Amino acid sequence: MSDDIKVPSVLVENVSKWYGQVIGINDVSLAIEGGVTGILGPNGAGKSTLFKLLMGRIKPNQGSVKLFGIDPWEDTSPYRRIGYVSESERLYDWMTGQDFVSTLARLHGMTRNEADSRAEHVLEFVGLYDVRHKEIGKYSKGMRQRVKIAHALVHDPDLIILDEPLHGCDPIARTSIMNVIKELGNQGKTVLVSSHILEEIERITEQIVILHNGRLLALGNIYAIRDLLDKHPHRIMITTEEPRKLANAFIGEEPIYGVRFPEEGKLEIQTNDLSAAHSVLPRVIVESEVKVSRIDNPDDNLESLLEYLIGG
Amino acid sequence: MSEDLIDLDGGQTRMEAAYGSDDGDEDLFAITAKREASVGAIFEQNYRPWDGDFGPRWVRNYAIFRHHVFGLFSSKGHRNYNPFIRLTILVIFIGAISPIAMLFFSSLFGAEPDGFIDKMWGVNRSNLWGQVLGYFPRNLCYWPLLTALVVGGMISDDRRNGTSAIYFSRPVTRVDYTMMKYLSVAVVLGFVIIFSYMLYYTLAIVFKGEGWGFLIDTLPMFLAGLLCSILLVITYTSIGLALSSISQSRFFSAIAFLSIIYGTKLVALLIDLQFETSILYILSPYDCLAHFGQWMLGLELNYSHSLSLSVVSLILMNLVSILVLVSRVSSLEVTRE
Repeated sequence: MSDDIKVPSVLVENVSKWYGQVIGINDVSLAIEGGVTGILGPNGAGKSTLFKLLMGRIKPNQGSVKLFGIDPWEDTSPYRRIGYVSESERLYDWMTGQDFVSTLARLHGMTRNEADSRAEHVLEFVGLYDVRHKEIGKYSKGMRQRVKIAHALVHDPDLIILDEPLHGCDPIARTSIMNVIKELGNQGKTVLVSSHILEEIERITEQIVILHNGRLLALGNIYAIRDLLDKHPHRIMITTEEPRKLANAFIGEEPIYGVRFPEEGKLEIQTNDLSAAHSVLPRVIVESEVKVSRIDNPDDNLESLLEYLIGG
Repeated sequence: MSEDLIDLDGGQTRMEAAYGSDDGDEDLFAITAKREASVGAIFEQNYRPWDGDFGPRWVRNYAIFRHHVFGLFSSKGHRNYNPFIRLTILVIFIGAISPIAMLFFSSLFGAEPDGFIDKMWGVNRSNLWGQVLGYFPRNLCYWPLLTALVVGGMISDDRRNGTSAIYFSRPVTRVDYTMMKYLSVAVVLGFVIIFSYMLYYTLAIVFKGEGWGFLIDTLPMFLAGLLCSILLVITYTSIGLALSSISQSRFFSAIAFLSIIYGTKLVALLIDLQFETSILYILSPYDCLAHFGQWMLGLELNYSHSLSLSVVSLILMNLVSILVLVSRVSSLEVTRE
């Protein structure tokens, strides 16, 4: 048997999980390896259920979950390579940040000195070094989120699972945590991060998984997924003083099949091929001699994508 | 507190001020915020991989064990025991070793052998049995309360708060988790119950200056008592942890434990008084232990039913409790966060 066969960090095959009459995850299959992947979906989509299944907190009713090729419910060894930040995990509030991270490091089998030194490093990495001797109960929400990330990183995992890590954080903490996540992805680690704030995911990664009502709706690069949505044309919004003159110039161009005037001073052009439309855009504008102040792609973002996928 | 005094003539900062009085107007200084505050700071997010080796299973298990046990003495990285619980455990321990004080005073005052003090607190079959299995105060007040306090939140707190996820998201198996919780409770109970028993026996010999003959005479009795104390710790730990595993409330598991210990005893006592049969004592964990202990130490048995019934009942109680504990933890789904 060849050793070259790469086992994905996360492999979920036909997994379903229901809580009584309520379905949490419905026949989901996916494989994830390397980089940062955003898990998206509205509340109740099944994001946290998926993470709990990955972390062996709950058992699937159907299908199998494998981390590094091993079922975590049967064998906990994959957790040596996994760091997990749950959405609202209770922490040991009476402990200092240093004690907390160090104590959990020892649950991985580190010696006291190793645990202390590693705890110091990860607390420094998440920007809590100066307050590491303060009790967690006195930390702000952002600091608590960061100490959770620190404890998930203390054993240098290959797979990091972050359930709503930005929830409740102030803008500075959000930026700081997003930088941490991006940096981990850059280092080649597999990072799964869930959020229902789409702009945040867009700032972190282009690789996404979209869940809705427990079902997997889409998986892959955000722009590649957008291109696959043929029934929802791409829109380009142009702000100009003479929208009708400009619209006239666009009619007849190959990639453009429709124009609209949504409001005063705005022209919306519709196309099925966004890149081709952008390539003709400069020429048409120049030839029409119309002054253009702004060009936007209003539906080429995660929010529109999610809206199209979920709303049909 | 020190503030930076910045020379206004230096051009580094400006302060508009009304010069309305003469005091200090001639000094061209102003107290300002520290200049560093306006400089700002960017911390480097420099992640350094760890290339050490993880310790084996026992290292991880010891981390769980120490977290639960050392919390009684310090809170650095340990489970937080309420000061009231710590104080109560201390009081129970002092109560458990109180016969040592009497032995000490009797040795100081030269009490007569086989005198009142010696009969009440000296080493003999009854007192060795009583040190562990005597009903008042130990099994009425001390041991059940001690167990209820220690075991109350041991698993139920994890279930309620979702902190069991802290263990289950690490390479800690549910078997290890259960074993270390069990061991932690047993060690805390053992420290108070078994250690106080051993201390009593050892110091009784020391204070009374007994020789090898006394040791040889009393050692079998001591070992029988020791076995009983170990059985008591195991039984109370099993029942207590089983209750903790089926509850999300430390209060429920503690009260349920006390109810089982006192309730079964009370019902059996009432039936015994009314119908003159001791058979229902087989439902009482304490009485099964007491019955077995009386036989082990060669005391006259207080119960009219067969000893084997008590022994079988004791084994069943432990088996059922451990079965409940293991099945609850092995199927524990951490849905609450």
